[in-house]
Amino acid sequence: MCVQTAVLQGNQRLLPELSAPVTAWFAGKGWQARAHQLAVLAAEREGNSVLLIAPTGAGKTLAGFLPSIEDLIASPHSGLHTLYISPLKALAVDVARNLGDPVREMALPIKIETRTGDTPASRRQRQRFDPPHILMTTPEQLALLISHPDSAKLFGGLKRVVLDELHALVTSKRGDLLALGVSRLARLAPQMRVTALSATVAEPEILRDWIAAPVAPRPAKLIHAPGGAPPKLSILASDDRVPWAGHSAAYAVPELLETIEKHGTTLLFVNTRSQAEMLFQNLWAINEDALPIALHHGSLSVEQRRKVESAMVAGNLRAVVCTSTLDLGIDWGDVDLVVQVGAPKGASRMLQRVGRANHRLDEPSKALFVPANRFEVLECEAALEAVAEGAQDSERPLPGGLDVLAQHLLGLACAAPLDPDTAFAEITAAWPYRDLPREKFDKVLEFVSTGGYALKAYERFAKLRKTEDGRLRIANPQIAQQYRLNAGTIVEEPMLKVRFVRARGIKKGATTGPIGRGGRMLGEIEEYFIDQLVRGDTFMFGGEIVAFEGVVETEAYVSRSFSDNPKIPSYMGGKFPLSTFLADRVRRILAEPEHWQQLPDQVREWLELQRHASVLPGRDSLLVETFPRADKHYLVCYPFEGRLAHQTLGMLLTRRLERARTQPLGFVASDYALAIWCATDLSALIRTDRLSLDQLFDEDMLGDDLEAWLDESALMKRTFRNCAIISGLIERRHPGKEKSGRQITMSSDIIYDVLYQHEPDHILIEATRHDAARGLLDIERLGVALKRIRQHILHKPLDRISPLAVPVMLDIGKEPIFGEARDALMREAAEDLIAEAMAFGADPAHIGR
Amino acid sequence: MAQTQPISVDDWQTTIRFCGHDFMPLISGALYWPEIDALLVADLHFEKFSSFAPSGQFLPPYDTAMTLQRLEGDIDLTGARKVIALGDSFHRDNGVNTLQPQDRQRLSALTGTLDWVWLAGNHDPSAHALGGHCAAQLAIAGLTFQHEPRPGTKGLVAGHLHPAARIAMNGKSARRSCFAYDDNLMILPAYGASTGSLNILSPAFQGLFDKSALQVVMIGRDRTYPVGSSRLVAR
Repeated sequence: MCVQTAVLQGNQRLLPELSAPVTAWFAGKGWQARAHQLAVLAAEREGNSVLLIAPTGAGKTLAGFLPSIEDLIASPHSGLHTLYISPLKALAVDVARNLGDPVREMALPIKIETRTGDTPASRRQRQRFDPPHILMTTPEQLALLISHPDSAKLFGGLKRVVLDELHALVTSKRGDLLALGVSRLARLAPQMRVTALSATVAEPEILRDWIAAPVAPRPAKLIHAPGGAPPKLSILASDDRVPWAGHSAAYAVPELLETIEKHGTTLLFVNTRSQAEMLFQNLWAINEDALPIALHHGSLSVEQRRKVESAMVAGNLRAVVCTSTLDLGIDWGDVDLVVQVGAPKGASRMLQRVGRANHRLDEPSKALFVPANRFEVLECEAALEAVAEGAQDSERPLPGGLDVLAQHLLGLACAAPLDPDTAFAEITAAWPYRDLPREKFDKVLEFVSTGGYALKAYERFAKLRKTEDGRLRIANPQIAQQYRLNAGTIVEEPMLKVRFVRARGIKKGATTGPIGRGGRMLGEIEEYFIDQLVRGDTFMFGGEIVAFEGVVETEAYVSRSFSDNPKIPSYMGGKFPLSTFLADRVRRILAEPEHWQQLPDQVREWLELQRHASVLPGRDSLLVETFPRADKHYLVCYPFEGRLAHQTLGMLLTRRLERARTQPLGFVASDYALAIWCATDLSALIRTDRLSLDQLFDEDMLGDDLEAWLDESALMKRTFRNCAIISGLIERRHPGKEKSGRQITMSSDIIYDVLYQHEPDHILIEATRHDAARGLLDIERLGVALKRIRQHILHKPLDRISPLAVPVMLDIGKEPIFGEARDALMREAAEDLIAEAMAFGADPAHIGR
Repeated sequence: MAQTQPISVDDWQTTIRFCGHDFMPLISGALYWPEIDALLVADLHFEKFSSFAPSGQFLPPYDTAMTLQRLEGDIDLTGARKVIALGDSFHRDNGVNTLQPQDRQRLSALTGTLDWVWLAGNHDPSAHALGGHCAAQLAIAGLTFQHEPRPGTKGLVAGHLHPAARIAMNGKSARRSCFAYDDNLMILPAYGASTGSLNILSPAFQGLFDKSALQVVMIGRDRTYPVGSSRLVAR
């Protein structure tokens, strides 16, 4: 506080005057306005937009709204003055409450309201013609608001837009939608200024440009709030052995419970729902004092989550095991310790999570890292260094999605007839779309109107019709209605509700008999997970082990199970891939043994062993090991580029190996390594120059091989589904009847096949490719990696598995294995049938009788 | 004792023997009947995607062309001279009118050269004049052909339900369209490019097959696979 006051006095003449009510309020609290709060106010008064980079607890909310309060005191305003947009509904509600307190205490006649999907329709309706001064909402609600014909009136007098947690939004399609929405606001209200609040990011200039683009030529100022006390970080030093592989960190559970006992309230972050389930289960298995420990993740029912949240706020919990659902925003009261169980994956995410402990800026937050396996020890070490330095991953916002653009253009046409030239200028004023070529814009407009197919089949059903002055208006009012039902960019994985029922007849092999009547709802689960289950399979959900009973309409029925071990490990790899930034640091730690001092003994020994038995991967080279094991021949490489990029690499390498007739049988990818196994001796092939690793890993695999593989990739279909829904090709729901996720998935796969075969350069296939390159396939990152390692491949033929290869080899059987065609399964089943028939001496040619 | 070479599934073509007749299931979902040189196809659902256009959903208008291409390929492959379409050939009666000119041309080239029978389906109950004969039902060589399956008719060949089978082994599962039959009834998979499928263990199939005699031929990528009914799972 002292330091900040000094800064404040040093710049006295630059500081803006505060109004009497605000000054009195600060004085009454015994507080002083912080330098960055005043700096934001000063910049705003000069008519500038502002990007404020501030850590948690730095008084961001007040910094964001002080200019509104001051302006509303200075000149009374009727209508909407400030629009606040947050990535989370709950955060919007929370901020409204936090701002409401000082406004009430200052006795100011400022009306503050929230508008989210949960706001009653009647109030949302009223807000459009009788808005508050300050409205707190989400990007999706903004999209809906600007699609109304009265939006020009509603936003005409708007002075300020406040964008909260902007760093979290800009890297997603929600960010594209927001950028387009803000660009429209800037058009409706040319006088408005943007204030964006963000956590620390690697390249703040990009965010600054992002907010300045729509209000150009006026500049945006970049203001940094001083950081708080540096966090106190440590890695759990367990007496037990750190496992070679796995993600459960079960070895550390006794120590974790002790840690919870020693602290008031602990937040335990994990990366996936199933890890959360597992950890929760393991903690309670030994929680003899019955410490109140709760579970919080996105699949639990809303009521269950709210219960945990209010218990947390009331201080009734000692620990919460949670996923990224608690990453952002809301202040859960006094958290004394944050524990990250499992790999941190990214430095920025870690900083954010660590910031959840202790919202008082001047006290250090305390965090503990618990690696679940040996590679994760390295990753935790790298994250620890990064967080201590305040170093960040640099995740840049992507070029804007064409599917989002399609949705937005229809929204604009719903508000008023659309002039293509003006709309193009408005769109390219949004930062993600600044480089959009006009012909692409026209293609998207064509897509919105009639589907944009080379075969003009739908002209007479066109959604947009030309008016006499060349503008485009919607063909009928139902289109606007439909648009509003389908707006937004969040496409959920198809989910099934999970309901508790009484088990069916326990009799072995019984496949009939009624399923018990529906009981309590446990939450929701991804459909693809349920798809792989057979009745009787056990898995963990909602903190207990349940048995799968069957699917009835859109609900998965489960019963209580008495088994100790769930049969189906629902771990599907980490949800977030290892960031490029952390990967680079991990490679450095590996390559430089002088870093190993800080590592636990067993991990150091492991690396020493590797150095002895094989070699260590270099910082910029790629280590490829080949060795025989059992009757197979393995190739293990260590690119450290994250699971998604490795999966794509695995798919492409297997195709090439197949062509080279090395008979690849399958592969498994982790965040660090990739293992492929073949029936042919790879070491011998490489030794005799019949297989070249340089050629095998050549970048040109991203050409034809990629194309060929994309043809049949299920990941492309999953990506397409999102684009199809966001762009409006497939409806999310029809008025009156909700389409289930299952139906959408089924038909979107079929639609993809038809479209891809007949018009592979359609705008939606382009959008899908673009998403896949950055998303599920991570082609872009793979491309950078292949470039880096070109001519830097270090081949090490071995006669047995190397120490470093053990973790990824242990994943075989636990992680999904690729490259084994599902056809093999049918072949096996068919062979079974033959064997059975042969036993009776039947003629196989007429097996089908 | 000499070890006999185990017989592999690769060693023969899948044949379906049903009610005394032999059929060849094709990976496209068609069933070839050499005895009368006929190709049997169910549920083509022509013009399905275009049927969504009036409601503002512009699905790629190429599904009809894709289905036609498959048909032409199967006719080339088998040299069939007769085609029996087992109903739901059009996604709706009006599909007959919405055909793109080039698709209409391809179709009439087929119906003009082949002996073509359109059986009525619930989606396309009305007769039309696209060439070939329209009928509700057909009887050949002791077998009956109609769109909807029903239990208790000896020798009925039908479509309508879009059967698919899911098998699970060693913790993995595969789900594919399939031919399903017992001693009395055979149901063909849906043939159209725009069609989805339904698991044969779902309630829609209840009471149709004699479980103990049920046979399934699943459609793989490069061939078809006979699969024991004990391998089937509901999900």
